[in-house]
Amino acid sequence: MSSTLTKPDRPTEEQRRAGGNAKLTWRQRRGHWDVKYSPYLYIAPFFLVFAVTGLFPILYTAFISTQDWDLVRNTGSYVGFEHFAWVLQDREFWIALRNTFSIFLFSSVPQIIVATVIAAMLDQNLRAKTFWRMGVLLPYVVAPVAVSLIFSNMFGDKSGLVNTLLGDIGINPILWHTDVIPSHIAIATMVNFRWTGYNALILLAAMQAIPRDLFEAAAIDGAGAMRRFWSVTIPQIRPTMVFVIITSTIGGLQIFDEPRMYDTFGLGGANKQWLTITMYLYNTGWGKFNFGRAAAVAWILFLIIVSISLVNFFLTQRLIASDTVAKKVKPKRVKASKGGK
Amino acid sequence: MARRRSTSISSGRPKWFVYGVLAIVLATAIFPFYWSFLIGSGDQSTIYATNFSWIPGGNFIHNATEVLKNPAVNFWKALGNSVIVSTTTAITTVVLSTLAGFAFAKLRFRGSGVLLVAVIATMAVPVQLGVVPLYILMQKFGWTGSLGAVIIPALVTAFGVFWMTQYLSQSLPTELIEAARVDGCSMIRTFWHVGLTAARPAAAMLFLFTFVTTWNNFFWPFIVLDQNNPTLPVALSLLQANYFVDYSLVLAGVLLATVPLLLLFIFAGKQLVSGIMQGAVKG
Amino acid sequence: MHLLHKGVNVSLSRRNKTAGIAAGAAVFALSVAACSSSGDANPSDSASGSTSDEQITLTVATFNDFGYTQDLLDEYTALHPNITVVPTVAATSNDARTNYFAKLGAGGLADVEAIEVDWLPEVMQYSDMLADLTSDDTTGRWLDWKTAAATDADGRLIGYGTDIGPEAVCYNADLFAAAGLPTDPTEVASLLKGGWDTYFQVGQQYMDAGGNAWFDGAGATYQGMINQVAAAYEDPDTGALTVADNAEVKDIYDQVTTAASTMSAHLSQWSDDWYAALANNEFATMLCPGWMLGVIQGAAPDTTSWNVADVFPGGGGNWGGSYLTVPANGAHVEEAKALADWLTAPEQQLKALANAGTFPSQVDALSDEASLNAAFASGDEPTKATYFNSDTLGTIFSNRANAITVSPFKGALYFQVNDAMQNALTRVEDGSQDATTSWNQFLTEVSAIG
Repeated sequence: MSSTLTKPDRPTEEQRRAGGNAKLTWRQRRGHWDVKYSPYLYIAPFFLVFAVTGLFPILYTAFISTQDWDLVRNTGSYVGFEHFAWVLQDREFWIALRNTFSIFLFSSVPQIIVATVIAAMLDQNLRAKTFWRMGVLLPYVVAPVAVSLIFSNMFGDKSGLVNTLLGDIGINPILWHTDVIPSHIAIATMVNFRWTGYNALILLAAMQAIPRDLFEAAAIDGAGAMRRFWSVTIPQIRPTMVFVIITSTIGGLQIFDEPRMYDTFGLGGANKQWLTITMYLYNTGWGKFNFGRAAAVAWILFLIIVSISLVNFFLTQRLIASDTVAKKVKPKRVKASKGGK
Repeated sequence: MARRRSTSISSGRPKWFVYGVLAIVLATAIFPFYWSFLIGSGDQSTIYATNFSWIPGGNFIHNATEVLKNPAVNFWKALGNSVIVSTTTAITTVVLSTLAGFAFAKLRFRGSGVLLVAVIATMAVPVQLGVVPLYILMQKFGWTGSLGAVIIPALVTAFGVFWMTQYLSQSLPTELIEAARVDGCSMIRTFWHVGLTAARPAAAMLFLFTFVTTWNNFFWPFIVLDQNNPTLPVALSLLQANYFVDYSLVLAGVLLATVPLLLLFIFAGKQLVSGIMQGAVKG
Repeated sequence: MHLLHKGVNVSLSRRNKTAGIAAGAAVFALSVAACSSSGDANPSDSASGSTSDEQITLTVATFNDFGYTQDLLDEYTALHPNITVVPTVAATSNDARTNYFAKLGAGGLADVEAIEVDWLPEVMQYSDMLADLTSDDTTGRWLDWKTAAATDADGRLIGYGTDIGPEAVCYNADLFAAAGLPTDPTEVASLLKGGWDTYFQVGQQYMDAGGNAWFDGAGATYQGMINQVAAAYEDPDTGALTVADNAEVKDIYDQVTTAASTMSAHLSQWSDDWYAALANNEFATMLCPGWMLGVIQGAAPDTTSWNVADVFPGGGGNWGGSYLTVPANGAHVEEAKALADWLTAPEQQLKALANAGTFPSQVDALSDEASLNAAFASGDEPTKATYFNSDTLGTIFSNRANAITVSPFKGALYFQVNDAMQNALTRVEDGSQDATTSWNQFLTEVSAIG
């Protein structure tokens, strides 16, 4: 990865002074060390915790992906890349990949659009702001057991609420647990229910941080509400947009809970209609006790997610950056994420 | 602070349709709670009834009492544990993520780009395999059975670091940092006075998210905690330990466990939202 | 780590109706204990664990409901004042399974750990990590097939049988009456006596008389049929997959899919639709292991039309059941063995039956018909005896247990194959494939196993 999500800022005055002056006082030197080394101190806690609880599992997974692994005895024999080859020729793997992308598209795209719209609405001068803002986050609080009960109740093939309502208006029942696309839509609905409000609040927090004089300047230039939204709001919240899109991508491609809770067996349907990659991974490991192969799936999925995230990152960066109005009205005091040279 | 918004842009209050749309969103959001209450106030057969009633039954108090006095569920002990775990995790995640986000967003240091990508990449690692190595590790450290085994791996998250980085890079003007430095503030004091202030709205959100996520987390506490020292979801799952699961009890339990979260929303919500308002960059 | 934010869980077992719901992110399912609460799970302590007057705590991990109430466990403490028994319970067998295999090698299991017959074949691969429970009085204590399944190639017995699931037929008397069929349990038993042909013929009769559906679904019915085949999917000697060439399996598949096309309610067992159908009299019969009584009563509390007939097509059959194992690296192996022995003794099995409806696997308990019948007539009102309109439920299931002659071989791949088969049946039931296409896909999937 050649680019970072936010370019480092220009060196501060202090840094330049510290770097450019050979004769330093103690105070200056201390300041120099402070500038140079304290950042490492600030990011250290994350990497320390990660080293203990994250790195070991990752390396362990990499190791056992090349082994015929017995989880219980903690032993294995080296098989090279056999597991990777097996997974890539397995029909179920490709079905799972297809389903994952399909559910991902049915959820992420509408979710981000709706979340942005809701955030924009919440960003207005509403009465009872707290009430509305906390309200949209409520679905995030609902316990998963309640979510699964409600949605399995709603999307039941025979006695489900949705089919009953459809029947009332003369539409044939939809086979939510038999047909591929309806099952994906139902699962995406569960995902969207839980995460739209969450993303809306994240975007709202970003919108709140936009200096209001930008809007005023745009308004004076004659920009209408829509124009201001596209030309001021969106470019200004770009880093947060990137964040929402990247985390939705990662979360979407790792989708697990919702499809598992979609029926009683949690195995993705009789014809693998809603089997996703992480379910495939989990069933391979915990269902079939083939942890070597499951580890290989984990690494393949990891590589897929990283590449998709990269593509996503560059696309969003370009799309949002292509708007030029924002750059014009950007006041010099506000530091946008792309530091000018 | 609300006055910040110039009347010249938004002429008065938003139109009725904005409230209309938000009301629909809110109704959708409230629906599960009402549905849970309908089931939780009925009896074991309510959930499978053909003519589903939208009027609550009269059994909620009875069901809730059943849950509270079930000795196996150990509700109060579990509640206490959940409060400890969620509060600790949420606070440390916010502080440590903000610290790291401040560094990534606003400070220049060698390798920052690569390290930030590393942070994000850790989110892309599928989690379903991590349980066993992590359990082995906890067992080696002798932490299994203690709340530490739940808290320590969750002290800081890649999600939190990434969020804070993105938020601060957008909302914290570098000039403020430079000004503080010129005034002779050390880096940590700059962070404390300038960074934390600017981060407040995002920190409030992160606190809420982390708290709720930890509160509802089941699988890892289930594996690593002793049942005599459970968190709420682990304790409440006992209500499903039967050949026939009585969902009126389960949902009564779920609602009881959600009450503290709703209280958090009501009491902290005001705080959090005004945080969002004030945290915006001032001139 | 974000990895802690996701729940994981698998559901293999069809016995666990809550699995899917409880699973996943599932904040709800349940806790199985980690190490013993006295904090002495360190294997190195085990040498000192045998002194008889040392104060110790034993943990017992179960799932669903084994009927091991605190009162029952306190009785053990009364007998052994130096021992305190602490129970931990997982909501579903699948939660317990994940927990079991995550900790079996690493350490941290309870002193006594319950396992279910569904994952017994997997446990048997690690029988050397479990204490050998063979003793002088274990011979002939349980039904032969129950003991045989938990004995490894070296003759080590690794699990004490707790309950079994002898199968009878449950039928809806009101629906029978409406279709002009007899409603008295004895008459129904003689009506259905015979093979699966008879069962389906009577079903046709019921359908011809305008009945709604004869049985709940192809999957559940198939399960009853396949459990009567000695070696369905694998070669008992080599463990090799033989299902593709096993005509018996294909015959059962054909028979059940043909029957299902006309007389099934097309319900997937444990789905919401299935529970609702049970409560709303949407099918007339279902295969009924003893533990199913609690499910029926729970789902349909307001009807009195469900009855149990002392009959099972093809003779006898078992569905489900569990064992108690003692991990060999526990701190108090000897004491744990003694506790497991006591818990599976006839008196305690009868108490567990009264507490939770778990049917005994002990020969002595099974022959005590009076106590069995009494157990079904005790507990919360209405009792099972009242609900199912019978004073002789104990006798019925005891007869059903004694009618079991075949102990089906289930090797390490059994449940993968069976899951593929259940999926194949579901595809036919939901109309997405015809029987032939679905069978061919099943064969393709099976060839990828292993």
